[in-house]
Amino acid sequence: MSCNGACRVGLMREIIRVRNLEYIYPDGTKALQRIDLSIFEGESVGLIGPNGAGKSTLLLHLNGILQGKGKVEVLGLELDDENLNYIRSKVGLVFQDPEDQLFMSTVFDDVAFGPINMGLEERRVRDSVKEALKDVDMEEAIQRCTHHLSFGEKKRISLATILSMKPEILILDEPTSNLDPKARRHLIELLKGFSITKIVAGHDLELILNICSRVALLDKGRIVATGDTREVLSNKSLMESHGLEVPWSLKSER
Amino acid sequence: MHLPEIDRYAHLKSPLHSWDPRVKLVSISCLILSIVLLPNLLLASLGFTLVIVLTFISRIPFSFVLMHLRWVLLFILFFFVVMPLTVPGERIVELNFMTISYEGIELASLIALRAIGAALLIFPMIGTMRFDLTIKALQKLNVPNKFVQMVMFTYRYIFVFLEELRRMFVAARARTFRKGTNVHTLKIVSNLIGMLFIRSFERTQRIYNAMASRGYNGDLKTLDEFELCKKDFLKAFIVIAMAVILHLAPLQ
Repeated sequence: MSCNGACRVGLMREIIRVRNLEYIYPDGTKALQRIDLSIFEGESVGLIGPNGAGKSTLLLHLNGILQGKGKVEVLGLELDDENLNYIRSKVGLVFQDPEDQLFMSTVFDDVAFGPINMGLEERRVRDSVKEALKDVDMEEAIQRCTHHLSFGEKKRISLATILSMKPEILILDEPTSNLDPKARRHLIELLKGFSITKIVAGHDLELILNICSRVALLDKGRIVATGDTREVLSNKSLMESHGLEVPWSLKSER
Repeated sequence: MHLPEIDRYAHLKSPLHSWDPRVKLVSISCLILSIVLLPNLLLASLGFTLVIVLTFISRIPFSFVLMHLRWVLLFILFFFVVMPLTVPGERIVELNFMTISYEGIELASLIALRAIGAALLIFPMIGTMRFDLTIKALQKLNVPNKFVQMVMFTYRYIFVFLEELRRMFVAARARTFRKGTNVHTLKIVSNLIGMLFIRSFERTQRIYNAMASRGYNGDLKTLDEFELCKKDFLKAFIVIAMAVILHLAPLQ
């Protein structure tokens, strides 16, 4: 594949470096095999692939939830027990299901959870919460109970729970799944507005096309292609051979 | 779908709503202890009246309270059936092989007044503040953190759990399942509950991942805005004094 994306970011700082990463689930399933991936500061990278390709498993390695064989470096630091807390405060991971992400009873407590654990003083925690809720247009929800939110609202608050930690890298697992078109569009606009490094995994290829400059295509635990988003996504034979389809907007451009 | 929200009326305004959650929990807990230890029917009636007054002051609708107490009431009804027949004493009614004793009715009434009184007090105590404030108050009162976390997660996920259960029953009904009093229903329902446990177990792992990725290390830390004022102590004094007077009154 072309190296356009990587060449464009060639002068930027390598913020995530994954080398020869392998992970086998306890039941023996080889989830990741010889993964090499570099993410550069400020870029948005999409992880695409069919179900079971290993996208979510790879994401869980980027802030140390899972630790497989191989090397994972984040912000120049090797992911080990010593650096784990620091790395987790810098790598914000938004899970697919907001019911998993939002585990506290109220929006305030959920958004404040990360900053409190980071050891910030109370005033700074409160400021971070307000700022993060403002970033996702949910300031008025600060005192609401989590179980009273709509699904779209839960997705946005999930994002705020990470933004309040002021991460350097934002990782999103299937951010638009189950959202209605309006909520999806709103989330895409929000994500486009964030200038930090983003890694987005999912099947919503229009979303990936909208916000990512580079993609990595995974299948059966391996990265089978990386490159410029438009170039990879418009490669019909590549996409179809890995259980994907060229997004509608690229088809209609032809 | 009906959600079991004990704090549905936490938004109302009353002297109990404005009471500091920590002081309220401690004071009303003292009153609950006092009520369940009352030795005779007269004192229990006085205590029960006090509980009714407190519930009235809390402005929580009695219909809401009764709806939530229906299972407690049903359980207590059982005592009214068993005790008059089993406690020996002065016979009121004699029917062939059964005798109903005065002491039995008295004991059943005493147990009922104590139990309903204690259960009723949960509403002025917990129903007058948002549940997250109850959690934070428990934390501030140094209740073990693991217990506080268990209460908090139970409350947070009971709604998710019920929604999952509802969806599973809808899916079962969509495939012609009809509830009945037969072995087939028992088998299907136990399968669904089993599935729910498996799903919940899997969810706990995902929730833990989400918590760990945001710096969780086993301790739950939250922020609160509790502020004590003189009125809080005055209310505490009144409630605790009543709890003590019930035991010191010359009506024993």
